[in-house]
Amino acid sequence: MNVFIYDSFLNQKKYDRLLARLETRITDLGLNGKISRLSLIRNVAETVESELKRGAKTIVAVGNNQLVNQIVNSLAGQLVPLGIIPVGQTNNDLANGLGIASAEDACDILSARLLARLDLGLAGQTYFLGQAAIGNQGTVIDMNKDYTIETKNQGMIYVFNLANAAVKLPTKVKLRPDDGLLELVVSAQASGFLKQRLDNSIFKITKITIANPKAQLLLDGSIALDTPAEITVAPKCLNVIVGKNRNF
Amino acid sequence: MFNKQSQGGELNEFETIIGPSVKVKGDFNCQGNIIVEGEVQGNLKTNGNLEVGNKAKITANVEAKEAKIGGEVAGNVKIKGFLDITGTAKIFGDLEAASLSIERGAIFNGKCAMAGGVEETKKPAKDK
Repeated sequence: MNVFIYDSFLNQKKYDRLLARLETRITDLGLNGKISRLSLIRNVAETVESELKRGAKTIVAVGNNQLVNQIVNSLAGQLVPLGIIPVGQTNNDLANGLGIASAEDACDILSARLLARLDLGLAGQTYFLGQAAIGNQGTVIDMNKDYTIETKNQGMIYVFNLANAAVKLPTKVKLRPDDGLLELVVSAQASGFLKQRLDNSIFKITKITIANPKAQLLLDGSIALDTPAEITVAPKCLNVIVGKNRNF
Repeated sequence: MFNKQSQGGELNEFETIIGPSVKVKGDFNCQGNIIVEGEVQGNLKTNGNLEVGNKAKITANVEAKEAKIGGEVAGNVKIKGFLDITGTAKIFGDLEAASLSIERGAIFNGKCAMAGGVEETKKPAKDK
């Protein structure tokens, strides 16, 4: 049985027409199953756990990155695949990276059911599918005992599992969320008159500790986490239904 | 980026890029291809290929499979295959490579040893 978990913001009236259209399309494709609507008192982890016990075949996140991240944390290590129907104009980088451009496309992608077993990043006790991000000012990166990285210019530090189209990276580096590695990207403003340009440094890693007493680590653009946080990779940890236009 | 063309093989995919605003201190070991456009202090070793941009500054001993150097290197350079030194390069240290190209304008102060050359001089002696 397919279980569709609707994010709580979809309870707003403005999404009624979109949801009705999606539900019709899902029924047409023969994918209909149970709909579970989240609310302030309904916890994602408990919902996913109870649906898995009832024999869910697919868990589909209907919402944005925040819901996807919460479901990823409940599904990590399971064989039941995650499907995504992105809703809303922003904060849908994860779906886009997996080749799911719109809610309408997502229905066809669910129907095609192309599965990929992907790695997850693990920051402290929280998994992330896309990236962890923090400002570089005052941030200390401990990669291992062999070497240190310094940057003078202002910018961001990212740890990527799945590439994000919003952060332009050199085409010479391929990011794959199924290679058992994470990519540390130090993105800093160029010096001198090229200040608008960003210089990216990229390092393949499996383990890193990030500390900044004045800033929080943002996982998948939606979950804030205090530092110091150890970030590791959990290889081949989650089955995900992906589109043909995925970025890996 | 300096010259894109690579004579040491297809350098399409890189594992590590050290950008212009970054300084790496310590022993940096890596399996894949590296681009250095920033600063490295310590040792730099890879089983893949190395590209050193013309504004890069490396104060380290360098080991790689093949390399193209356009920046400043203070330290010994040991390359298993082809070493391409472009006109903007400044190398203060000894070189070791199987094959070598040095473009006009490059500055090189040090000794140069080529493994292939040693074998060739030995072979005629054995025939005699």
